[in-house]
Amino acid sequence: MEKQSYMRGVVRSPMFSLLILFAALVIYFSAASKGLFLKPKNLVNILNAMAISALLTQGVSFLMISGKLDLSTGANGTLCGMLLAFLLQHGTPVVIALPVSLALGGVIGLFNSVLVNEINFQPFIATLASTSVFTGFVYVLANKKAIDIKNPVVLWLGKGMIINYIPVSAVMALLLMVVVGVILHKTKFGRQIYLVGGNAKAAMLSGINPKKLSYKLFAICGVFSSLAGITLAARLQSGTIAGVTNARFQGITAAVLGGISFGGGSGGMGGAFVGLLVLSGFNNGMTVVGLNPYWQTVASGLLLLFALALDVFRTRRNAKA
Amino acid sequence: MEQYLEFTGIGKAYPGVQALRDISFRCDGGEVLALLGENGAGKSTLLKILSGDTRPDEGGIIIDGRPQQFSAPYDAIKAGVSVIYQERQLVPAMSVMENIFLGEQPKTSLGTIDKKALRQSTQDIIDKFGLPIRPDELAGRLSVAYQQMVEIMKAYRRNSKIIAFDEPTAPLADAEIAILFDLIRRLKEEGRIVLYVSHRLSEIFRITDKIAVLKDGRFVKYLTTSRTNEQELIQAMVGRDIGDTYANLRRNDKLGDVLLEVCNLETEYLRDVSFTLRRGEVLGLAGLVGAGRTEVARAIFGADAILGGEIRFEGEAIDFSEPKDAIEAGIALCPEDRKDQGLVLWRSIRENITMPVLGRIRKGLFLDRAAEEHLAEEAIAKYAIRTPSINKIVRELSGGNQQKVILGRWTNSKMTTKLLILDEPTKGIDVGTKAEVYQMICDFAGEGFGVIFISSELTEVINVSDRIIVMRNGRVTGDVTRREATEESVLALAMTD
Amino acid sequence: MGNDRSLRRVIKSKNTVLIAILAAVVLMFYLLNSNYLSGDNLRGVMQSMSITGIMAVGAACLLIGGGIDLATSMEALFGGVLCGLLIKAGIPWPLSVLLTLAAGGLIGGAVAYLVAHLGMMPFIASIALSNVIRGVNLVMTNAQNVPVPTEGFWVLGSSNVLNIIPTPFVIMLILLVIYGLVLHKTQFGRNIYLIGGNQFAARLSGLSPKKIRTILYVNNGVLAAFSGIVVASRMHSASPSSLSDSQMDAITAAILGGVSFMGGSGGMGGCLIGILLLNFFNNGLNVLSLESHWQTIAQGALLIAALTMDYFNEKSREKSLKAGAALKQ
Repeated sequence: MEKQSYMRGVVRSPMFSLLILFAALVIYFSAASKGLFLKPKNLVNILNAMAISALLTQGVSFLMISGKLDLSTGANGTLCGMLLAFLLQHGTPVVIALPVSLALGGVIGLFNSVLVNEINFQPFIATLASTSVFTGFVYVLANKKAIDIKNPVVLWLGKGMIINYIPVSAVMALLLMVVVGVILHKTKFGRQIYLVGGNAKAAMLSGINPKKLSYKLFAICGVFSSLAGITLAARLQSGTIAGVTNARFQGITAAVLGGISFGGGSGGMGGAFVGLLVLSGFNNGMTVVGLNPYWQTVASGLLLLFALALDVFRTRRNAKA
Repeated sequence: MEQYLEFTGIGKAYPGVQALRDISFRCDGGEVLALLGENGAGKSTLLKILSGDTRPDEGGIIIDGRPQQFSAPYDAIKAGVSVIYQERQLVPAMSVMENIFLGEQPKTSLGTIDKKALRQSTQDIIDKFGLPIRPDELAGRLSVAYQQMVEIMKAYRRNSKIIAFDEPTAPLADAEIAILFDLIRRLKEEGRIVLYVSHRLSEIFRITDKIAVLKDGRFVKYLTTSRTNEQELIQAMVGRDIGDTYANLRRNDKLGDVLLEVCNLETEYLRDVSFTLRRGEVLGLAGLVGAGRTEVARAIFGADAILGGEIRFEGEAIDFSEPKDAIEAGIALCPEDRKDQGLVLWRSIRENITMPVLGRIRKGLFLDRAAEEHLAEEAIAKYAIRTPSINKIVRELSGGNQQKVILGRWTNSKMTTKLLILDEPTKGIDVGTKAEVYQMICDFAGEGFGVIFISSELTEVINVSDRIIVMRNGRVTGDVTRREATEESVLALAMTD
Repeated sequence: MGNDRSLRRVIKSKNTVLIAILAAVVLMFYLLNSNYLSGDNLRGVMQSMSITGIMAVGAACLLIGGGIDLATSMEALFGGVLCGLLIKAGIPWPLSVLLTLAAGGLIGGAVAYLVAHLGMMPFIASIALSNVIRGVNLVMTNAQNVPVPTEGFWVLGSSNVLNIIPTPFVIMLILLVIYGLVLHKTQFGRNIYLIGGNQFAARLSGLSPKKIRTILYVNNGVLAAFSGIVVASRMHSASPSSLSDSQMDAITAAILGGVSFMGGSGGMGGCLIGILLLNFFNNGLNVLSLESHWQTIAQGALLIAALTMDYFNEKSREKSLKAGAALKQ
């Protein structure tokens, strides 16, 4: 009896329907690509793409659970990747260049946080506005062209393989995801994020400082974005002007698909992981079956819309129950 | 023609709750009818149906003999019904005249808004009511009371036959209540039907002619105001006599040393506030809304800056910069608005109870789940919180049980609470649970806490507290013991200079 | 006495401050480079401001009504491309323009459906939709510009009124006047302020915020498509991928001009000043031949500055409201 209702709970959970969706995608794309989709080489491609999105998802998840949002993650990552390339080009040792680039991500996060916490901007518009500022700085650093990266340590991070098949970046991103999951669910810090996302006033009266927390979360999100940008730059062997700018929506899409609601206070890394699987499988599948890239743009927009609709319906159902 | 409003067999169910069941009664023109009942009795659902906000599952509304079908608020307005809610329906950035003619401003022959006609018609209505308001004034600049007057004028302008008030006096001072009641009497003299929802029994005797009592979604009694008394009303509402509630409280009579001393405290809102509180004592803060009671709590808790004087806690001067420090020192605040400031509604009972002690239930880096569950179980047992599991989402609990979760948060065994500040802990709780909360307050004192009990209900603050501080306009106007205090004397201190 | 008071009101009004800032900006750039106020450059500013200006009209109406559409740029590109393709397909240009405007309205309606009916957050929903439209634009054109060699069609963007003033600028002014009248003089206009200022009150007054907001989104879609048509007409060809910053410019201009980001306040007069300020600022950076990436940064900074101003305005208004209420008591 107990077990039966547990099973029913599993079947009804949003994660379950997402997994079904994922399975359907896998079957469809495998069939449509005549098995190409599941070839090891393509799986490596998927893992590689997943690494970047996973990092962006983690950063933005922290913020979304606390009821905030960052749209500048892409521009942030691009700028940090560019900075790393720039520093290495100018002979900065990697042990300095790498931490400095990561730190820049954190500083950018803090800048957003000042706009949101001190001048009361809505996170959305604040980070949208700061996006263009950061993008401008990317152009300033790049001076109109990409900067090559030759440092082997950095390249290993982006292109290295473990036992020939498993990308180092994917392992790093997924390990970090486990760490983030544990932080969210098992630590005081993680719990505070959910409480603030659920009701910031109540959290404050219970001795949690939502403002301080928000500064930390924006900074963390900035560092994760930076890491994503650096990883991509390392993989492409150069800091590019496009960088991860357009990938920011992938992070948000995966998080929302996985049940991290815009309202804050709910969701977690388990769901986000499933969301990532769906997203990465979907994006890669479209390429593998040879869909016109312009249609792919349409389709990924539609996927984000689908995720949003899912969020709306979940919230409505919860409000009713 | 005879004017009347009749509810016939109204029933309404929400998922899991039968909110209203077969409600039938009638109200005649030229009468003020009180709609009375505990929280959850179904008053607000009935008002929502009257205003066209929700549709009833069964039954209907008849106005002047004609059955009505409201599918949206606008239908109700067209049928002559105006409901004046607690939440303001004004647009603060618009002028009084635009608000009064909201959505239906007079037009010129060109189809544009006729400002002149608008101003003149507004002035006419204002003159009729004899109010000191200008048509061009921004609605947001008016005091709460006058904002309410603007809404009444709006209803008047629509020529509404039926005007319903939902707890209209809650935000008003006494002088303002007098103005409101004058207006209501005027509406009554013009033969309109007035529905009046309020918790304050004294007002019901002042202003209404008939009383309809609801309980648990049913209609229980129809009374004529002049031929009933408070006792009878309360019995009808509760179904039992609660007169003995206070007499039966097990109180604490062992007072300890002085816990809190407030000396000549000045903040932005407070002037020269002084009092002391001993361990084991329940100190009531009485006064009208806006008298500065919540501000005292905020100053102690570190939410407002102290500009003069000092607060001494356990003999040491305190001036906290954020709630966290106050909590560390052993001060707990149960805020006035449970849902807005107290609870994280979408999280579990367990998580809500351990909120302030997360740092004390750690095993290494991680939270100690077993300790956490233990704390939650402890609170559920201590306060008899009715729930199948500690992991139930707080939103799904009743108001009383939610309040108990908050109390459980501040008094769990990992807390070092010494001073407990309860701001309106019985707001929105039914009468039965209120008695339980009173006993808890006395028990807290018995456990050696100092308790500050803030309440707008004079009766409860006088009867539960050991000592009562009366406030008015940010100052202390009285410091009396329970034996000395009567409702009249405390009210006099709260209202006169 | 009466005169004195009205004078003080003029000095205190937000628009006066903005005009002063505008004058200062213009003066500063003029001192830095005297070409700034040359006839050619002024005509250039008028040309470029008319595009963001037309968008800003739609964006301002939406903001006042408590909405926002971040797909506006893509809607505009869609408008240009569609109009170009229709003309290319042999449909007379006036009819093509009308059809395109209708299509723009449909897209606006789609945003409205997501936001007002499904209840998605307007920001993210319109951004998602803008990605979809971007893809559609690329698919329609195969990422190539669509040349529009029809001379009649060029009238909208390339001609001058009285041989001096660019037609698009005149069109923008006319639109500003018309929308200003609608906002201030008509019931519908006041209702827009009402739903932006207090949705609860609006509903109880029998208004349907959903319906009004839908109209505003559709209106925004039509205006966006129109601005895209004007660009295509000016360039004699429609591009599927430029203009991407225009919507932020339009929103910045509206907010600079005192349209509150929170909804419920602002107007077309302020909006015009905002448009002028933004464009004279951007053009000034151009004239100084500052590199384009510094311009990107400056624009982001300007939006942040505009929002900061909006926040402090809102705050001081709240404060004065509170003070007023306290006085009454």
